[in-house]
Amino acid sequence: MEEYPEELRTPPVALVSLVGCPELHATITTHLHSEQPPINALALPDFSKISIIAKPSKDASALPQPVAGILKKDWLLKHRTRVPAVVAALFSSDHVSGDPVQWLQVCTDLENLKGVLRGRNVKLVVVVVASSNSKDDLSEDRMVALRKRAELDSKYLIIFVPSESELQQSLIRLGNTFSELANSCYKDEERRIKARLERKNFHSAELNIRCCFKAAVYAEFCRDWVEALRLYKDAYHAVREMVATSTRLPPIQRLIEIKSVAEQLHFKISTLLLHGGKLSEAIAWFRQHYASYRKLVGAPEVIFLHWEWLSRQFLVFAELLETSSVTAQHVSPLVSDSTDRVTDWEFHSAYYVQLATHYLKEKRSSLELALSMSETSGEIDGNAESVIAAAYVGQFVKLLEHGDTFVMQSLSDEEYARYALAEGKRIQDSYEIIALLKRSFEAYNNDKASRMAAYCSFQMGREYFTVDEYSNAKEVFENVASLYRQEGWVTLLWDVLGYLRDCSRKTALVKDFIEYSLEMAALPVSTNAAGQRDCGPAGPASLEQREIIHNEVFSVIRGESESASTEENSSLKVTADNPLYLEIDLVSPLRAVLLASVAFHEQVVKPGAETVITLSLLSQLPLNVEIDQLEIQFNQSECNFVIVNAQRSHLAAISCLQPGRRVETAPTLELRTNKWLRLTYDVKPEQSGKLECIYVTARWGQHFTICCRAESPASMSDLPLWKFEDIVQTIPMKDPGLAFSGQKAVQVEEPDPQVDLNLDSSGPALVGESFIVPVIITSKDHSVHSGELKINLVDTRGGGLLSPREAESFSSDNLHVELVGISGRECEDLANSENIRKIQPSFGLISVPFLDEGESWSCKLEIRWNRPKPIMLYVSLGYFPQSPELSSQRAHVHKSLQIEGKTAVVMSHRFMLPFRREPLLLSKTKPASDSDQIPSLPLNETSMLVVSAKNCTEVPLRLLSMSVDAVDASTCNVKTKSKYPEEPVLLVAGEEFKQVFAVTPQVNLPKLNMGIVCLRWRRDHGDGERSGSCSTASAVLTKHSLPDVNVEQPPLIVSLDCPPHAILGNPFTYSIKITNRTQFLQEVKYTLADSQNFVLSGPHNDTTFILPKSEHILSYKLVPLASGFQQLPKITLTSVRYSAGFQPSVAASTVFVFPSEPHFGLKDIGEIRVESVVAE
Amino acid sequence: MIVCVAVVGHQNNPLYIQSFTEADDALKLHHIVHCSLDVVDERAPLLSITVNNPKKSSPTLNETFLGLLYPTENYKVYGYLTNTKVKLILVTTDLDVRDADVRNFFRKFHAAYVDAVSNPFHVPGKKITSRTFAERVSTIVKSFGLSSAS
Repeated sequence: MEEYPEELRTPPVALVSLVGCPELHATITTHLHSEQPPINALALPDFSKISIIAKPSKDASALPQPVAGILKKDWLLKHRTRVPAVVAALFSSDHVSGDPVQWLQVCTDLENLKGVLRGRNVKLVVVVVASSNSKDDLSEDRMVALRKRAELDSKYLIIFVPSESELQQSLIRLGNTFSELANSCYKDEERRIKARLERKNFHSAELNIRCCFKAAVYAEFCRDWVEALRLYKDAYHAVREMVATSTRLPPIQRLIEIKSVAEQLHFKISTLLLHGGKLSEAIAWFRQHYASYRKLVGAPEVIFLHWEWLSRQFLVFAELLETSSVTAQHVSPLVSDSTDRVTDWEFHSAYYVQLATHYLKEKRSSLELALSMSETSGEIDGNAESVIAAAYVGQFVKLLEHGDTFVMQSLSDEEYARYALAEGKRIQDSYEIIALLKRSFEAYNNDKASRMAAYCSFQMGREYFTVDEYSNAKEVFENVASLYRQEGWVTLLWDVLGYLRDCSRKTALVKDFIEYSLEMAALPVSTNAAGQRDCGPAGPASLEQREIIHNEVFSVIRGESESASTEENSSLKVTADNPLYLEIDLVSPLRAVLLASVAFHEQVVKPGAETVITLSLLSQLPLNVEIDQLEIQFNQSECNFVIVNAQRSHLAAISCLQPGRRVETAPTLELRTNKWLRLTYDVKPEQSGKLECIYVTARWGQHFTICCRAESPASMSDLPLWKFEDIVQTIPMKDPGLAFSGQKAVQVEEPDPQVDLNLDSSGPALVGESFIVPVIITSKDHSVHSGELKINLVDTRGGGLLSPREAESFSSDNLHVELVGISGRECEDLANSENIRKIQPSFGLISVPFLDEGESWSCKLEIRWNRPKPIMLYVSLGYFPQSPELSSQRAHVHKSLQIEGKTAVVMSHRFMLPFRREPLLLSKTKPASDSDQIPSLPLNETSMLVVSAKNCTEVPLRLLSMSVDAVDASTCNVKTKSKYPEEPVLLVAGEEFKQVFAVTPQVNLPKLNMGIVCLRWRRDHGDGERSGSCSTASAVLTKHSLPDVNVEQPPLIVSLDCPPHAILGNPFTYSIKITNRTQFLQEVKYTLADSQNFVLSGPHNDTTFILPKSEHILSYKLVPLASGFQQLPKITLTSVRYSAGFQPSVAASTVFVFPSEPHFGLKDIGEIRVESVVAE
Repeated sequence: MIVCVAVVGHQNNPLYIQSFTEADDALKLHHIVHCSLDVVDERAPLLSITVNNPKKSSPTLNETFLGLLYPTENYKVYGYLTNTKVKLILVTTDLDVRDADVRNFFRKFHAAYVDAVSNPFHVPGKKITSRTFAERVSTIVKSFGLSSAS
């Protein structure tokens, strides 16, 4: 677009000429520029210069000259810069109203001006510049006279006041007048020319076109865009018609002229369309333009001019699109359904740039052809310089020097062709093409059209390649290649790689050259694309070519390139100074060259045991390849080994091995195309942990190495390009299971421990005792070096209450189970030494002394249960079978034991009142239920406390003692009522032991603390208790706290008195004693019910009064009538004062009646004996 | 005249590409087909939107024919998207091609493709190497535009 003249590229701007009063010109010009639309000003300082505007005199205007061309080149420029639409004559008011001489001068100037303008349609404005202070000085007559002389309407005689207050106003007035006049002037012109057009009195098409063009320009001046567009289109069509009709110029030049004119008109039309926002129309117009001129190739010797012209059309249109790209997004490409619908890409400038490049390339190739043809005939001569552009658009003439004068002479077509060739030779098209390609590449990239962009950059690379800029070319090609690799466009990739290979060859990059060659050789190209000629330096993509490349690269690799080496190849050598090392990882494009799949046959292996590994290699190279040597590398480097090709072992490749390395020999290491080479070897891992194969390194010759990352068959992905090929699928291993699930890594186990770890436990643990778990370590085949014993207590329910880290946060009271200590025969000495010994409530770590084979060591774990809870005890022994300097293989033995924690004894208690003695406790008469929990005891009366302890375990226990520890002996007197046995009592499983205490509260308290029952016991170890040394050295104290009791003062106490037994027929006395403990007289009603088993004497019912602090006795004489347990006659007492009734319990009012006098062998039989020892 | 037809797979990899020119521009045609995938990528989502939205869809859009993808140099490129998202591409040198002809061509081409991949020995996703398919395609190519002329 830049090569077009400026007046063509910019919209037309009206031109106004200012004459006289030069001091004001700058102000006025600036103002006019800022007008909307702007106006250009041609400033002439005084009237002597007005001849510039004058119409050039035509000497022979009468003669109708033959038309020499279509458009004059400078016509537009003339109207933009030299021929004004309006001329403003500026006179100072001093001159106008000055002395006659000055007035005369004004008149003369005006006349001259009018004379100049006479031939032209130019509007005149007279501006009288008032001097700033004498605005009113202007005489009316002079003004009228001036107006008459200028033959002007009064509104075109303007008084301009340059004073500050009125300057702006004057300028606006001036501007308005100018634009109005200019508009009317241009409109007149347009009308005049259109009138001519309508008359159609042209004798040539050229004139018609010229008139259309002119009218269009004038319409543009008037901002009548629609009309301008219409006229331009008329002109354009007329030009197109001229192609067939015109005979004025020789054919080549004729076409050139027509194309140049069409180009200008097309440019105007496109600009107008695009600025009017009619994007689709503009594109459609461009298409039509392209379609109508595409075939007008012209004479074959200057065909390149056509391509150049076409390329320019595209480029200019692209630039136009770019400048008006704002509207491009609004158009939906899918609106119309006809075949000439505009596609998406046609809205992108990149598309046009790309095509411009295409035609530019076309131009270059045809230019080269034309040049080579002309060179052979030696036609190019030096007189081409004298050819210049003629006065008409698209015409060229020869400038001949005749003495001082230059004479223009029209050219013959041959001369023109020679000139065009000479011009074409000067321009370096390649760089232009690269620049254009870069532009479209960037534009496509911005539009996220990566493939278009890749195509552009591929072409760019090709251009770089042809101009020998190999490094640039290589960079560009590499980007392209990655896209083609990714999408699997093999033929395209082949071509790009061919270029890349040649680039590396030419820049002597051996590694790159070999990589690209190998990649090409391994590409899935098999079609026989014979006869393909438009291919790159790699030649056609075919199997033969792959084989050629394969052979070539392997001759370089083996350093055998002496045979077919060209001078280019000589720099490519793999030698001792220049060894080559290629690495193939999982994403490398060279995976097709060498793919290594490694699988262990086992998943887990013991250290020192042999395991089988299968190594499979695959290559897609077209020819068989013999590997000299393979090295397999593991993460445990001592497992590494080397496989040597037996047929090539004579080669010195092996010399570079490290000494002591395992070397295997394979009969052959030949890789065939798409055939797995499977090798199976034994590996003996020594260290435990993971053994992984990392690399498989293949060597060819002495200096070439490919290091290929090993892949597991299970997770191996397909070869990226080959997976689309319809080839036989093979699996890397013979065993399909291994092929689908094989891993390149194997887990090496720890060495088997040869040490026994024993945990001994005697049944469940009991809460409170120190439970002893003996640990015995017996060495069998290993000696134990720096052994370490770890002990862990874990809640079996996974509560995690005993995790070693949290142990600190627990206070020891909260711990349900804790590790109290570790003791052993050697523990004492160990504790003093520097050896590790760490004990936490749930975790312990101690060191084990050195044990030789066959020795044993033991220790005891002391664990205390605070609550009943099952736990898991984990004990693990870690040790070195040899002394740690020799081997770092630690062996571990683990043992675990679940231990149940149980409560040993369950204790319970019961309060009882004395037999047949019943105090009236007022709290019991109240119906309140909340006091039920607290037992009430009468003050100063002896009550019974029965404490029972039951063995809940399966283990027999020995009770050592049971006592009540009162809190304060003064408040309550507790005595052991039953005598405690001297020997510890044996309590077998489920048995209960009872102890009776007499309790006499001595203080009247609502809540009396009764203290704690302490029971001391230990495990019974059966015969002789000789194992006491081991576990039950100390007795266990189990505590049972008694509840608080309510102590009350009973107001009345009823005691029943009768003999312990009676004899049938023998009378006995049954007395009821009522004691009044109060200070009041107590009224008591009583009723005695008859009983059929007894005959009784005494009152049946009555009311008595009992004096304070005294007692009343009801006495009955009874004769039993039946034997056995007999219910005494039931007495019912009622205290009137407390309205409380009393009835003795059934047990209390029962007596045993013997049929006759019994004879007891023992003395002193009493109730105590009956109650204390009874164990149900 | 049809100069090139292609079947392009899901990963934009060529499954079948065949040119029918005497001239040596096979490689260039490969490039053109490859570039046209950009247009397909751009247009395919547009197509599915209109298909899913019945209010907007005009009858011409509610199908798999992508229409003229782009004109380039001397060629015009047409596209067709099967319901398995396999792309069929056609490159022609004819300047005025009737849409109906192209649609018709693609319909036949698609049918041939479906038959080819229905072969139990064909592995889906691999290149189509069937000779029958190639013959059938070349017959379709030869008959292109003839029906309209008669």
